[in-house]
Amino acid sequence: MSTFRLEIVTPTKILDEGQVEYVRCPGLDGSFGVLANHREAIIALGIGEVKVTRNSKDHYLATSGGFAEITKEKVELLLETYERAEGIDADRAESALQRTQERKRLNETDAIRNDASMLRAINRIKVSKR
Amino acid sequence: MAKLKDIRNRIKSVKSIQKVTKAMKMVAAAKMRRAQERMEEARPYENRLTDAINHLLPDVDRDLLTLLDIREVSKVGYVVVTSDRGMAGSFNANVLKAAHNEIDGIGKENVDVFCIGKKARDYFKRRNYNIIENHIDFWNDLEFSNAISIGKGIISHFTNKHVDKIHVVYSEFVNVATQFVQSEVLLPLVFKSEEKQTFGRLYEPNKKDIIISLIPRHLNVQMWKYLLESFASEQAARMVAMESATDNAQEMIKDLKLQFNKVRQAAITTEMLEIVSGAEALQN
Repeated sequence: MSTFRLEIVTPTKILDEGQVEYVRCPGLDGSFGVLANHREAIIALGIGEVKVTRNSKDHYLATSGGFAEITKEKVELLLETYERAEGIDADRAESALQRTQERKRLNETDAIRNDASMLRAINRIKVSKR
Repeated sequence: MAKLKDIRNRIKSVKSIQKVTKAMKMVAAAKMRRAQERMEEARPYENRLTDAINHLLPDVDRDLLTLLDIREVSKVGYVVVTSDRGMAGSFNANVLKAAHNEIDGIGKENVDVFCIGKKARDYFKRRNYNIIENHIDFWNDLEFSNAISIGKGIISHFTNKHVDKIHVVYSEFVNVATQFVQSEVLLPLVFKSEEKQTFGRLYEPNKKDIIISLIPRHLNVQMWKYLLESFASEQAARMVAMESATDNAQEMIKDLKLQFNKVRQAAITTEMLEIVSGAEALQN
């Protein structure tokens, strides 16, 4: 299967993921997949999971969003934060989720912000189970 | 004339101070290097984000976004970035002086201040400025999430139209010997828009939504940059200050030793004089 280069760029690090076969990203209007020789594009990403297939093995990341820049040479994911599925602390995510639910019930904070934290917690839990 | 013992004690205490300043200098040097590395690491992300926004912005209507909203300025927000701790030469004083001058130029009643670092908080609190938020005690374990949480309050203060413009006063790291105090406009955002050829590219979901999702991220990384610049400057300033403190201590030790030897010589001379005159008195 033909491959392409994937790089993940964050404010604190650049990760060279090397040659990969497939990437699935959480676009704002739903997930999309990228294979080699994709059309050049800039695509905004939301909260969700990124799936990377390298050597027929799947890897998962949780991200809080960013954007993907697809060029002829490579694919760059500019992510504000990311966590590898193996590295996620599921208990912490679970307690974060409970906190946000509690806050939603009491209606005490900025609802938009709270909902965003809730989505991030749910996403982390989901990815950690991969 | 000072007694021998007093001088010896002073030499001892200066030496132990010198040890402290030397250690502080080395700690500052290590921290500064780390901060510089982080600045390097943040650059690719920042550049690509700015590039993407610059490409997209010409095609997007400015009025759609409050963060791009250029309003008539009646109230201004000032974000002042300083450190929590002193012993860094004129680092904090420079930033505070610049911020103070600018704020007084506008009039203190028209300015809301966001204080970052204990030094800024103490300074503006004592002078009864209108402080909105304080962010302290995070410098030791500085993370990207600090930038996000500091940014949140500042950005919502702007989008809720409490202020019409936001300035950031911080210290820019040039190199170890040079740091400049900078005052930049954070909001409303201004981008230099260059028309670039982006034919054949696909934009998902569309240019406007991409811009809307990218601009808050741009602000976060901007905030991160200010924090890192300031942190690196602080450490550099401390390093230089502690270096000269160590040198001064060395100088002092030298002078004290000279004095010590003079006093010792004088004591010996007097003693010998006494012995000789005593012996002469016996002979006679």
